[in-house]
Amino acid sequence: MGTPIPVNIVTGFLGSGKTTLLQRLLRAPQMARTVVLINEFGEIGLDHLLVERVDEALVLLQNGCICCSIRDDLKSALRGLLSRRERDEIPAFDRVVIETTGLADPGPVLYTLLGEPVVRHNFRLANVVTTVDALNAELHLSRNPEGVKQVAAADRLVITKTDLADPMQTAAVRDRLARINASAEILDATEVGFDTEQVLAEQTRDLTPLMRFRPHIGDPKPAPDSTQGLQHNASVASLSLALDEPLDWTAFGIWLSLLLHRHGDNVLRVKGILQVQDTAAPVFINAVQHIVHPPQHLERWPTADHRSRIVFITRGIDHALLARSLEAFSHSRVAARADA
Amino acid sequence: MCALCGVFLTEAHWTDVSPSPAGRSARTRRHERLHRATLANRILKHYGFKISDWQGNAYLLSSATGQTAVLPNVAAVWPAAEQLRKRALDPLDPNLIDALERD
Repeated sequence: MGTPIPVNIVTGFLGSGKTTLLQRLLRAPQMARTVVLINEFGEIGLDHLLVERVDEALVLLQNGCICCSIRDDLKSALRGLLSRRERDEIPAFDRVVIETTGLADPGPVLYTLLGEPVVRHNFRLANVVTTVDALNAELHLSRNPEGVKQVAAADRLVITKTDLADPMQTAAVRDRLARINASAEILDATEVGFDTEQVLAEQTRDLTPLMRFRPHIGDPKPAPDSTQGLQHNASVASLSLALDEPLDWTAFGIWLSLLLHRHGDNVLRVKGILQVQDTAAPVFINAVQHIVHPPQHLERWPTADHRSRIVFITRGIDHALLARSLEAFSHSRVAARADA
Repeated sequence: MCALCGVFLTEAHWTDVSPSPAGRSARTRRHERLHRATLANRILKHYGFKISDWQGNAYLLSSATGQTAVLPNVAAVWPAAEQLRKRALDPLDPNLIDALERD
């Protein structure tokens, strides 16, 4: 078995420009050996050698957790690609891009990559890219829980249609996205110098958003206790923490596993770079709802600051309690905290 | 990989992965398992449970009333304890946090 093949997931709400972005990405010469898996053939055609269609078919596991369901269509498609390549029915490929439907919950896609035995040995997640339409972002994010999950799961957020939007509107969308997901890099698709290579780069390549705290450090806003659509989505926000002392990895793992067990439905994302006791190299952690990627050892810190940084994207969770709980269990003092 | 479904996977659960590159941990595997049980017990004792290493490849969960369960990893301990106790284990429970802060 060779090196696992990188997989990019491109998601985003209906009409947010996923296919247009894909068209641009596929124009790059280094994308020639990329397989694209799409859910539906839209109005915009993809002029690419390897485009496959998959139908969203969920196989719910016995525990009934939706985010941890195997996407049977994806499993079959990815396993099928391997066997067809083996039989020389399709050319060799070195990347797969999965374009989800606008309403897709990214959880099952990620779970299929990490949880399906054959798939996880042959493929690895490169990153999650979420497109957000500057004109309709507010509407989508306020009304659609899937839209918020797609933003929370993203490593790169690409704002589209900014050429049609008022600059103030684009700035407001950028601010809203940064509040929801403080760990993602936010790119503007129409900006001069928009780097398509950067869009698909590994999630660990640029961790500067994790190291950067938003300016308004202070007490968190009270979490609205409501299940109504608008307020429910409005209560999704990032909590960024910096920890002073190196973490005991075992203690952190125990604490995080209990947090995700009890509150995984409302902890949409945990992404961090940790300074761990007895280890010089930083450890990268990444969880989307209940789905935890295996911790990854990084070669070096992205900046001179070697304190652990963790971003939690939560819905309706008291950030002060979350920070206190982590401190109390890990014995690592929270040195700085930013609530969005 | 999944905090809920880790029990069904055959590979090491993510909580069992060593933080050191190539598994060069300062602790031996046995020491690490004992350390993990000691830490988990800080939470579990609040709910009347404890875990101990079971033959080096599982954990034995036991309650003050003598109920027991054998579980493959720490993540599987939480739902099992909740099922035995019929009560949620919550890391954001202020009473638990108070108790941890007093430790």
